[in-house]
Amino acid sequence: MQFRLEKRREPSQFMLYATPVAAVALTMIVGAIIFSLIGYDGLGAVREIFLTPLTNAYKWQDLGVKAAPLIIIGVGLSIAYRANVWNIGAEGQYIMGGLAGTGIALLTYGMTGWWVLPLMVLAGVLGGMAYAAIPALLKTRLNVNEILTSLMLTYASVQLIYYLIRAPWKDPMGMGFPQTRLFSEAARLPTIIPGTIVHLGVPIAIVVGLVAWFIMTKSVFGYRMRVVGAAPHAARYGGFSEHKTIWLALLVSGALAGLAGVLEVAGPFQRMVPGFPTNYGFTAIIVAFLGRLNPLGVIIAGIVLAITFVGGEVAQTTIGLPNAATGIFQAMMLFFLLAGDILIKYRVRRVVPQPQAGAA
Amino acid sequence: MTLSRRNFVKVGGAAMALPLLGTSAFAQLEKVKVGFIYVGTINDNGYNYAHNQGRLYVEEHLGDKVETIYVENVPEGPDCERVLRELAQQGCQLIFATSFGFGDSVVKVAPQFPDVAFEHATGYMSGPNIGLYNARFYEGRAVCGTIAGHMSETGKYGYIGSFPIPEVVMGINAFVLAARKVNPEATIKPVYISTWNDPAKEADAARAMIDQGIDVIAQHTDGPAALQVAAERGIVGGFGQGADMSAFAPETQLTAIIDHWGPHYLASAEAVLAGTWTPGNTWEGLKEDVVQMGPYGAKVPEDVRAAADAVKNGQIDGSFHIFTGPINDNTGVERVAAGVTMTDAELLSMDWYVEGVEQPA
Repeated sequence: MQFRLEKRREPSQFMLYATPVAAVALTMIVGAIIFSLIGYDGLGAVREIFLTPLTNAYKWQDLGVKAAPLIIIGVGLSIAYRANVWNIGAEGQYIMGGLAGTGIALLTYGMTGWWVLPLMVLAGVLGGMAYAAIPALLKTRLNVNEILTSLMLTYASVQLIYYLIRAPWKDPMGMGFPQTRLFSEAARLPTIIPGTIVHLGVPIAIVVGLVAWFIMTKSVFGYRMRVVGAAPHAARYGGFSEHKTIWLALLVSGALAGLAGVLEVAGPFQRMVPGFPTNYGFTAIIVAFLGRLNPLGVIIAGIVLAITFVGGEVAQTTIGLPNAATGIFQAMMLFFLLAGDILIKYRVRRVVPQPQAGAA
Repeated sequence: MTLSRRNFVKVGGAAMALPLLGTSAFAQLEKVKVGFIYVGTINDNGYNYAHNQGRLYVEEHLGDKVETIYVENVPEGPDCERVLRELAQQGCQLIFATSFGFGDSVVKVAPQFPDVAFEHATGYMSGPNIGLYNARFYEGRAVCGTIAGHMSETGKYGYIGSFPIPEVVMGINAFVLAARKVNPEATIKPVYISTWNDPAKEADAARAMIDQGIDVIAQHTDGPAALQVAAERGIVGGFGQGADMSAFAPETQLTAIIDHWGPHYLASAEAVLAGTWTPGNTWEGLKEDVVQMGPYGAKVPEDVRAAADAVKNGQIDGSFHIFTGPINDNTGVERVAAGVTMTDAELLSMDWYVEGVEQPA
């Protein structure tokens, strides 16, 4: 028996928004079955991973803090992906944003003043932008694939962290541990809800999502990004320069990744450590797609992914689920989503073999 | 309850304030709940495996008077803070943070849970409810170094480190000091891979160093990857770290440094049960059985075993200390005068390499 994928004339609008929800639901069902089959409490796993973080008020602060960088990076990526510019190196731009912010924090060490944090944020944004400019330059000048360059630059940025915190930026009080000193008070992101760990980066993430949504749906810039992605030929006839779009897409996504980086280093970390890269930049790719490349969707998707991280730890402590389970659930979500996308765009047709003449 | 921002603030605030209402006196308990966080997976067959063996040791000895939970693969950053709070919230009265990089998080979280006893392995920041514990791994390194000094043909050793912290620097120095007592020309090449557990990086580092002519390898990372590469390339040998890794390289493992945390974990859990826990600062070694040596590999000849045993027993009875001068650093400057033994404080802040160590990049 053979099948063929046949392009649908008109993808269903309803399904377009139903598939992310279906993907999450399928992940829960299949996850429960798989983990039951290998001897864990499958239903318990799904409950602890997806529900406990929501029902336990004490976990909300963790969700906020974990979702914020995912949302900020995810929003940037969703804009770039809309324009068919495949920035896979948000992790590297996130790191460069963090490093640029760290640089300012160390330069201003011991100083006080309201201007320190805004300066750090500015440096972080510029750092991420500058790093994303490299793939943009290579793509527009030499036609080098931005997927490769942006991804590989990530590894270079990790080495740059190691270099900086081992020598020029090493903490004089750190017993030789490669890390910078703790930032002084003025360089730390304030917590906005007293008694919790919810920092200023959390509302910033929401604002970034809302502003991006507004720009993408209401402005010429947004229109341009969408048209270039959806119909490149039409865009060219319409006078939109392809090069300019590539630059814009990479700079915007790089700037937002850099913003997430500086907020993360000034907020939860408060110093640069070797453990700073925690794959937010890569996880945000799932977030962008799960959110349907729509900034509002990305906000929700960021929270969903944060739930799986926080819930994954809950499941480890309560029902002894291994840490790898979190990764399995996240991967399943992306898998079901992409599979759903195929089925929205194509229908599966059974191919009936034509009977061979004279074969009887 | 609806998810309004106001409720969020109320509930969150109340939840955060709750633990602050308790008194800081430790009461006697019927049953103790103990939490462990590991930087890697318990299946690394090395460092984290050894800590988990310690957890099982406590369960075995205290039976139904103890409940243990653990979280593995916790990154050394803000994620650790969340996990620590999670464990405290689940009612753990004793929490072991088993990696150096968890220190910042322990210091941040411990004050929020004054009723919970925190213990941080290999760290240096203590507090009213933060104890520190460590093992004198360097004693095991001295035994390994002695074997390397006897058995290496090239006199060049490789050493895979995670981060250049005193803990690791001290191990490299102990290794080469012991080796040079046998072969004064011996040198060691450290490579830092900036992670505790990444088998691919460990293997790459091992291959690169073997290509440069080393024939004995040691590592201060968590898994058996370097040992496996050593076996594959057929060099003289390597050492298990954290646990006996002979299963992964039966011909190649010359001996192993085994972390035996069980007795310490048991003592702390019993102290919490009895209400007598106080933040300690323990640093025990071969003598206290917290550091153990694995079996010698088949290719280690009798005379080398005898020499290694002598170093081991000397450290147990106190007649031998690897950090007794004269010790020069790798620029030729005398750091420790003849007959003087470095103090614990000096060891715990060691940031220089002894003669024979190639300065790492």
